[in-house]
Amino acid sequence: MGEAVASPTILICDDEPTLRELMRVSLGDGYTFAEAADVAEAIELAHEVRPDLVLLDVMMPGGTGLSVLEHLRSEPALQETPVVVISAFTADRDHLAAYDAGANGFLKKPFDPDELESLVSDLLASRN
Amino acid sequence: MLHATDRRESATDRRRTAAPSLTARLRGRIEGFLDSFPLLARVVIGSAGLSVLVAAAFAVLLLAMSDLRRSTSAQARSKDVSTATLELERVVNQLELNLEGYLASGSGRFLASWRQAQRSLPPAIVQVEKLVATQPLPQRQARSLANLTNAYVHEYAIQLIAIYKVSPQAARLPAATQEGLRRISSIRRELSALLTSEDRLAATSEASARHDATRAVSVGVVALVLAAMLLLAFGFFLARGVVRPVRLVAAGASRVAAGDLSTRLPEQGAAELHELTEAFNAMARSLEHGKRELEAQNEQLRQSERLKSELVSIVSHELRTPLSGILGYSSLLLKRNFDKDAARRYIEVINEQGRRLASLIEEFLDVERVESGRIELKQELFDLGALLQDEARVLGAEAPKHRFVVGIRESPLEVVGDRDRLAQVYANLLTNAVKYSPDGGRIEVDGAVVDGVVRVQVSDEGVGIPREHQARIFTKFFRAEARESGFAGTGLGLAVSREIVEAHGGRIGFTSTPGAGSQFWFELPVAT
Repeated sequence: MGEAVASPTILICDDEPTLRELMRVSLGDGYTFAEAADVAEAIELAHEVRPDLVLLDVMMPGGTGLSVLEHLRSEPALQETPVVVISAFTADRDHLAAYDAGANGFLKKPFDPDELESLVSDLLASRN
Repeated sequence: MLHATDRRESATDRRRTAAPSLTARLRGRIEGFLDSFPLLARVVIGSAGLSVLVAAAFAVLLLAMSDLRRSTSAQARSKDVSTATLELERVVNQLELNLEGYLASGSGRFLASWRQAQRSLPPAIVQVEKLVATQPLPQRQARSLANLTNAYVHEYAIQLIAIYKVSPQAARLPAATQEGLRRISSIRRELSALLTSEDRLAATSEASARHDATRAVSVGVVALVLAAMLLLAFGFFLARGVVRPVRLVAAGASRVAAGDLSTRLPEQGAAELHELTEAFNAMARSLEHGKRELEAQNEQLRQSERLKSELVSIVSHELRTPLSGILGYSSLLLKRNFDKDAARRYIEVINEQGRRLASLIEEFLDVERVESGRIELKQELFDLGALLQDEARVLGAEAPKHRFVVGIRESPLEVVGDRDRLAQVYANLLTNAVKYSPDGGRIEVDGAVVDGVVRVQVSDEGVGIPREHQARIFTKFFRAEARESGFAGTGLGLAVSREIVEAHGGRIGFTSTPGAGSQFWFELPVAT
């Protein structure tokens, strides 16, 4: 079972390069990362790399992160992929909208790197 | 209302309806004429007319009754005449009988009775003459009767009594007796004629009285019926003129009370009712206007409430993004160990995001500053063309998907103003052009002097602005559907840009085709 040690792939979708880097650094070296800066790129990469988990910003060029989420949930191959929505819109309604669209987790910006790390590892563990 | 409909009718319709509408038009004219009288005048005129008519009816009735009374009194007079005539006849009989008795017996008792009858004669004659004074024929007959009886007494009876006292035989001669009989029979004929005349008169009077009585009753009945009908007509007139319009107003008021503020009443009728309906309509109009204003204010309030909540959300979002970098990296640096290069790089990010935060706060404050006129503009002469080139080059480097084409048609393109603030406006237009054409494309900048002003235009091939939002895009914090479409921003750039351009004595505007792109421009006075 040599495949088992292959690091999980995380798709990071955020138009801010510094925040993509922050997420990467927060999660550490145990993962493989793919990065998208807009909605179209996010959908394209999701199909391409079949990530184990998606970190999704809400405000992105070309549409909202929630539209990406809805797309993933409508694709048989991707509908089980855990998605964590990370948003600077933090009102209850934004929260609810994310869960309604099928999010597995929700983090407010600014987020705590440790919190992100434990949420991601929990979601991946529960999936396995 | 009716007139408005009439006006809308076609010429053919009017021709077709012209003939039968003659009576209608006449009625309309009469109604119009009636309407020109105030209600008070109408009621007074109506009451006065009614009183005159009722009074006339009763006058006719009174006339008929006075006729009846006249007939009745004529009848009574005839009866009196008959009585008086019969009394006269009785006196004449007394005269005749007592004369005969005296001549036959010579008794003083007869003579005394005769003398008494002679004394009764003049009053009896006077009574008859008095009663028939107004009737020509009986008057003539009475006069003749008076002459005959006087002649009988003076020319015959008194003479015969005198003769009897001298020679009773002579007085009893047949010739004397014959003369007496002749005279008495003349008197009797005349008496009988007078009685017949009076009987005839009495009969005529009675017939006339009966006729007059029937007429009086008929006139009375007709007058009463007429008065009743007039009262009914007046009641109907009052109902039509007052009650119906009042009921109409009441129904209108109920509709208004029920919330139908578009209720309007036809402004017609007597002056007071016209005023009432006019006032009613004015009230309804004012209510409707007030309600509409309130609704508009409500909508404005709701909109400003939405805008406020949008503002909070935008500010929060814009601040949270750099804060995420600052807190995230600093927390990592505190908790984990990094090599020196990595640590330095993260500190740089923290610094950069801190600056970004500061400039965001500056941007928010800018709006307040610009709006309250506290912005201080430098007045320097500079080449706007060079600025257009430089800024496009800097931004172009950060937007690899876009191709910048800058065309300056005049060099130098000189203006007087605040270089940094104008650069801010231009940079805002450029970043908007980049942001709202997410698929990349050509961004064209055009700088020229047009009609005595410096005009700068930035055109993109992006998503454009939905028509329903075009009127509001210079409103601060207004972001149309940008948030839903994933376009970050504060909704302040254009609002601030407009304030800056206008503070320079210029104008800013745009044209946009949804789905095809936008052209934003601003104009500044040429440097003199």
